[in-house]
Amino acid sequence: MNLGQAYFWICAALAVIGAVAAVAAKNPIRGAMGLLLMILSVAGLFLALHAQFLAAIQLIVYAGAIVVLFLFVIMLIGPAASTPPDKRGLPSRIVGAGIFALSGIGAMVLLVRSALAAAAAAPDAGTAPPLPPSDFGGIDTLGRVLFTHGLVPFELSSALLMVAIIGAVAVARGKQSDPTVAAKTAEPSKTRAKEIAS
Amino acid sequence: MILWTVLKILVMVGFLFNVGGLLTWVDRRLSSMIQDRVGPNRAGLKIGKFELRVAGLLHTAADGVKFFFKEDFMPPKADKLLFSLAPILAMVPVLALTAVIPFGDTISPHQLWRHVCAPVDGHVLQVLDGQCIDIATKAIISKPLLVFPSAARLGISTVQTPIELQVAPLNVAILYVFAMAGQGIVGAAIAGWSSDNKFSLMGALRAASQMVSYEVTMGLSLIGAMMLYGSVRLEDMVRWQGDNAWGIFVQPVAFFLFFTAAVAESKRIPFDLPEAESELVSGYFTEYSGMKFGMFYFAEYMEVVTSSMLLVTIFLGGWQLPFLHRDGITIQIGETIYAAQRLPHIWVILFGVLAFFGKVLVMCLLQAFVRWSLPRFRYDQLMKLGWTVLLPVSLANIFVTGVLYLACESAGEGMAHALKAAGDVTQAITAAVLTFLPLWALYGFFNTRAKDKTLIGTSGDMAAAAGGTKTTAMQG
Repeated sequence: MNLGQAYFWICAALAVIGAVAAVAAKNPIRGAMGLLLMILSVAGLFLALHAQFLAAIQLIVYAGAIVVLFLFVIMLIGPAASTPPDKRGLPSRIVGAGIFALSGIGAMVLLVRSALAAAAAAPDAGTAPPLPPSDFGGIDTLGRVLFTHGLVPFELSSALLMVAIIGAVAVARGKQSDPTVAAKTAEPSKTRAKEIAS
Repeated sequence: MILWTVLKILVMVGFLFNVGGLLTWVDRRLSSMIQDRVGPNRAGLKIGKFELRVAGLLHTAADGVKFFFKEDFMPPKADKLLFSLAPILAMVPVLALTAVIPFGDTISPHQLWRHVCAPVDGHVLQVLDGQCIDIATKAIISKPLLVFPSAARLGISTVQTPIELQVAPLNVAILYVFAMAGQGIVGAAIAGWSSDNKFSLMGALRAASQMVSYEVTMGLSLIGAMMLYGSVRLEDMVRWQGDNAWGIFVQPVAFFLFFTAAVAESKRIPFDLPEAESELVSGYFTEYSGMKFGMFYFAEYMEVVTSSMLLVTIFLGGWQLPFLHRDGITIQIGETIYAAQRLPHIWVILFGVLAFFGKVLVMCLLQAFVRWSLPRFRYDQLMKLGWTVLLPVSLANIFVTGVLYLACESAGEGMAHALKAAGDVTQAITAAVLTFLPLWALYGFFNTRAKDKTLIGTSGDMAAAAGGTKTTAMQG
């Protein structure tokens, strides 16, 4: 096992540990820390795949923003964030977990079978594939692809994000009416109150 | 190769630790100077009659000893794992940040004592009869004149691999910086939560929201600079500034925004709301003691050093000195060359490394001055400043930079000449400031008026000589 493989296995093991911790932790903050560990190790895996840009974005967006948001919300909620043990609906939960586990195992089996078939078909299966060019996955190459071939999907996805932000603002503000309108409607009632008082 | 990397890590981390430790001393002595008092000068070594005090410098060592031997108290209801993890999470990102910061020009080991050429993009150059020629084509190479030249990268030498004075030359350097800066929040948040203390929790909430808010400004303020430099690599940015003008001249607004955001990120006065003593005891690390507290305390000072390093790299020319290029000193404004002197490669490298670390020290001192000169904000003022002033200004900066860039680029060759001359003038201004400011400071140091004489940097002996006694400070 060379250094690269060792690096992969360490990152992969940490990612699995983090993911399990995120799901299994009773304390929500510990769960969030498990998620952070998972995200960091997946960023490490991206680095091994020459995807430096993706690794950096993973750290900025997921570790730097999303996990911090989770921590923030958990801290704001306080002790209520950790739910007491709940025994209701146990059978349906077990069934749900079983279905997920089965489909996961099925997907793994299909992947391994296709990989084995590909390995049998290729005569030089033992040799490593050629290394990508040194600027592969860097910011220049990715930017060029993003703004030439992938321009339309890129702009569309940013429009989608914009819609989501506006939607979030609308939902957060609820059906509260325009403050200027509210002030206008409030005025007559005030005058009426004055009239009553007088 | 691995030996060089270890050496570079030692230089960076050694500088960070030593200057961080020194800053705790500078902070105290400087605050005493600003507040017109003597400041700590009691820690000393006493061997027989001989007493060593070194102007209170030993207080730093005494602090370290105290941190290690104090009781490491943990609140009984604290989350033990997270409580111990938090100081590590606060400190590691600060250390990791220094990996991408270039502290000197690339060394070409095989021509260390010879004269070398200024880099031209994509060529491997060699000096022959006083002229720079391309090794492959034997043609004399000169720089092309562009409105916005990209930073010239060195060609890859075939003789011996060049040594970059940077631990990890990543191609996503700036993004890596933001990624690491973002991790610091988690340490503060976890510390506050796991302490099981209301003040800690309040401090952690403040820290998290403050750092998230100012990170936005920090990121956006650099986009204009990235546009001009045409790269996100920090070494390219430094090269560009050496060839043209320092970042503080081309992006003055961004410099101010980044400086403000960086001070806010390090949670120091005037942005020290997360640890406001008068409101929150000491914020998210209220419950910490011993070396765990020491790690938070020290991480803050190291953050000052790393943010100074970033400021120097992006806006103050990194390792560049005005008119000192890779091939030697060339004083040139526009097309006229006033003086030119080739220097051996090793001297240029050495001057560069010293210039970088010197500039970092000056920026650290400036941050200490800021800390002791400004009052603390109120929390709502802090948020208002971040979101309604700094953020719109940084967006406007991006827009204005883009429009000016487009206008200049379409103006043609005349504009290229004018910008080149303007860039050289800024280099001359920098050179003048760098020469006269230290001279002026030295003059002031040796010609202090009698009534301004204070006991800065004194030990008890100097106090006694100045008219006080060894135990009481000088009166009047």
